[in-house]
Amino acid sequence: MLSREDEIRLNELENQVDNGGGGTWEYLSLLRKLKLRRSDKVLTHGLSLLNDPKKRSALAAEEWTLYEQVAVAAMDCQNFDLAKDCINVLQKKFPESKRVGRLEAMLLEAKGSWAEAEKAYSSLLEDNPFDQAVHKRRVAMAKSQGNISGAIEWLNKYLDIFMADHDAWRELAEIYVSQQMYKQAAFCYEELILAQPMIPLYHLAYADVLYTLGGLENLQTAKKYYASTIDLTGGKNARALYGICLCTYAIGQLSKGRNKEDKDGSELQSLAATALERDYKYRAAGKLSILTSTLRGLKL
Amino acid sequence: MKRSISGESMQLCTVHTSAVNGILIGRLSAVNDVVEISDSIPLFHSQIGLLPSLEIALMMVEEYFSEKGLSIVGYFHANERFDDVELSNVAKNIGDHIHRYFPQASLLLLDNKKLEALSKGNDRSPVMQLYSKDSSRSWKLVGADGSSRLTTREPSANIVLLDYISSKKWEDLVDFDDHLDDISKDWLNPELFK
Repeated sequence: MLSREDEIRLNELENQVDNGGGGTWEYLSLLRKLKLRRSDKVLTHGLSLLNDPKKRSALAAEEWTLYEQVAVAAMDCQNFDLAKDCINVLQKKFPESKRVGRLEAMLLEAKGSWAEAEKAYSSLLEDNPFDQAVHKRRVAMAKSQGNISGAIEWLNKYLDIFMADHDAWRELAEIYVSQQMYKQAAFCYEELILAQPMIPLYHLAYADVLYTLGGLENLQTAKKYYASTIDLTGGKNARALYGICLCTYAIGQLSKGRNKEDKDGSELQSLAATALERDYKYRAAGKLSILTSTLRGLKL
Repeated sequence: MKRSISGESMQLCTVHTSAVNGILIGRLSAVNDVVEISDSIPLFHSQIGLLPSLEIALMMVEEYFSEKGLSIVGYFHANERFDDVELSNVAKNIGDHIHRYFPQASLLLLDNKKLEALSKGNDRSPVMQLYSKDSSRSWKLVGADGSSRLTTREPSANIVLLDYISSKKWEDLVDFDDHLDDISKDWLNPELFK
């Protein structure tokens, strides 16, 4: 998830570049920094820089970074000839480079030559078992071949070594969710929350997984994490507000006949409902009446 | 069916790096045993296997369309990988969930290969596969010889679809995920097909 400032800057630059207003290198650098996947734009705009000798020399040493970025974008857009050209340029400049070797292996992967790519990656890892990028390519390859259990296995092995890689934990959690392995996904989010407790995204995802698992205890915990998400986002997160309403309703359904759920429960739900209605009134007025009927259906 | 197909397939193009899904809106025709699909609402492009957003979406979509005499009649799913033509467990479970509340619901799975082949051929058949619940309570693919069939009302539907794809209309598509991230974005996409 992007921060507000990053998103604004990105849109600004993207508009500027798309309309021929310059700032191409800044835009491409921002994409690299934020690790965003906009391969069609990288290809178009990156090439315009590379094909202009003046602009290319203005980049100085950054020129090679651009070749690498364009090579990867070309692979993503299935333009293998262009990728090969970029890689050749880099090979000439950096003949023994492992980083270029990695690009070559990626090209094999992009073309679907799985066995050769696997050989290339394994040999790169033999030389450097701590090459994180190559480890991750292996996981990605397993995923593209539909070998989800393989991807899970490789990713778990990777996390045994690089347990501080938060992106990897998130990737694993998302794979688990796609396989409906919710308990395992919950574990991943627990690790993430332990490591970075102030990131609302993890609290929210954890709550969503717990709600999906169901059962009274999970619902009550989910509600707590929706509440902490609201806390961390200053009440601005619609998903968390909806989450409170859903949890309160579901808990109420499960507790029917047992001892009454605390009054705090319904108070929190009312607060969340009010916050949502206020938000919709100002930003999505056309949907306000649907929201109100939906919330009415969730009231205890 | 025209608008319906275009909306779903465009959603696929927007976020073609992950699985996407949507709800189909329509009505059971009084005349014959036909379920007319008149609209579709694109739902999610991330963490499709989670319940909370699905439940909210179902409630709000049903709320909106029941006023117009329409109902949820199906679920649309597109797989993440191009060569994956299987109906995944996630898709089946979401289909089941929807079917519980809307027993007339069927399931449509996007045929990625057919979609890609559109620009090359003259195929007028819908670019998706129809699944319905049989007596054994599982989702079965409906073949061309089966008792149910999927047809498009407009013969030029695929041409319109190709046009939308090439004009990059999918860049403007708003799905329910987008709405939940920013409620000012409208999942009804009122301006998109004008």
